[in-house]
Amino acid sequence: MDPVAFAWLSAGLGLGITVFGVGTGIGRLAAAALEASSRQPENAGDIRTTMIIGAALIEGVALLAGVVCILLAVKNP
Amino acid sequence: MNNEHAQQHDSTKHGSDSLHVAAGAHAAGHGAEQADGKFTFNKLLDQLGDHHELNIFFGHYEILPIVLMDDSNSFHTYPNVHAMEESGQWTMHHPGHGHHIVRTHAAHTEKEPCPIPHASASLDLSITNFVAYQWIAMILVTAVFLIARSRYRKAPLAAPRGIQNVLESIVLYVRDQIVQPNVGTEKRASRLMPFMMSLFFFILTLNLISLLPGAHAATGALPVTMALAMCTLIVVNYIAFKDAGVKAWFSHLLGGAPVYIAPIMVPIELVGIITKPFALMIRLFANMTAGHIVLMSLVGLIFFFAQEMGQIVGWGVAPISVLFSVFIYLLELLVAFLQAYIFTMLSAVFVGLALGDHAHHDDHHAEAH
Repeated sequence: MDPVAFAWLSAGLGLGITVFGVGTGIGRLAAAALEASSRQPENAGDIRTTMIIGAALIEGVALLAGVVCILLAVKNP
Repeated sequence: MNNEHAQQHDSTKHGSDSLHVAAGAHAAGHGAEQADGKFTFNKLLDQLGDHHELNIFFGHYEILPIVLMDDSNSFHTYPNVHAMEESGQWTMHHPGHGHHIVRTHAAHTEKEPCPIPHASASLDLSITNFVAYQWIAMILVTAVFLIARSRYRKAPLAAPRGIQNVLESIVLYVRDQIVQPNVGTEKRASRLMPFMMSLFFFILTLNLISLLPGAHAATGALPVTMALAMCTLIVVNYIAFKDAGVKAWFSHLLGGAPVYIAPIMVPIELVGIITKPFALMIRLFANMTAGHIVLMSLVGLIFFFAQEMGQIVGWGVAPISVLFSVFIYLLELLVAFLQAYIFTMLSAVFVGLALGDHAHHDDHHAEAH
């Protein structure tokens, strides 16, 4: 395989792994937030806000990985 | 997709012969590349990138001025790309991917021969697509707020109506739900509101403009998001300096650890100060770019299948492709609001973090420490 093929392979695999990690992370976050807000519905607003901040931070890391994958995918021969 | 791109260039570029030749050569280049399809993704990113003409509603309008600085520090201005090409001094260069303005052979004299590869302008201050979008967004936001303002001036106690309602509810939401809980006091929230509201409405407007047909996302460009993030960086540290005091800002660098850990803690905290706006920058950029890449890829699938497997397969793929892109488009609509919200929210959170324990005092300086 030539280097460009490896770059594409790594971009695809990398994005897959990223999505796996982020899916797990945000899934756990949402589950915990749901549980907490069903236990204490009066705090649902606060919990939602905190959850969105957490989700945004996780997503930020994911997008950083996504940008790296894009950089790999546009690698010139 | 390549075909489409080439046709656009062919149909929109008109005028001098040299331009036609350039467009023709460009199209031919596409043909060669289509065979292996190697550069499709690069072409897609080029489409999303900056341009020297205004693209909106399926049209390419060459109305944006070009401002270039050459090696001898003299400025060249042209009313548009076309006039620039006509002047014979500069030409648009399309290498493997991307495009930039370079010197033509004619512009070089004997004593200053044409370098290989072409010399580009040492500074390109052109009003590009994204700059134009930002101006449009600024004008829109200002106009809408001026209308609302004039209504409040006329009848301060009357019930808000129309656009006033929308703005009032958003402004109140941003103040009471986003800024105030994070920065502590109401006074500081009111002081921060102009900045936070500008961020929110500017990003929101740019995001929504990018969803118009044929438009590009100015927030999907790193320079734009970087400028916004730098504003946040400055505001966060200014508020921390002002409200918590210079001493508190420096002691914050220690992160509450004993002094002898300072060699480790100070660099970490300094990196932390830079990382937060950096994450803001990447988040907004990547979110907007990702959505548009997915949209363009989905539409591009039609052309890909039509090209590889024949027209009929292309037509067959079209409905599925269009359905998915409508779905992604609606998702993008959500993302447009969400990203404006997140950017503002995180800016407020960072202000709160930088203040630390001081968040709940209005003017601290004298008392707390």
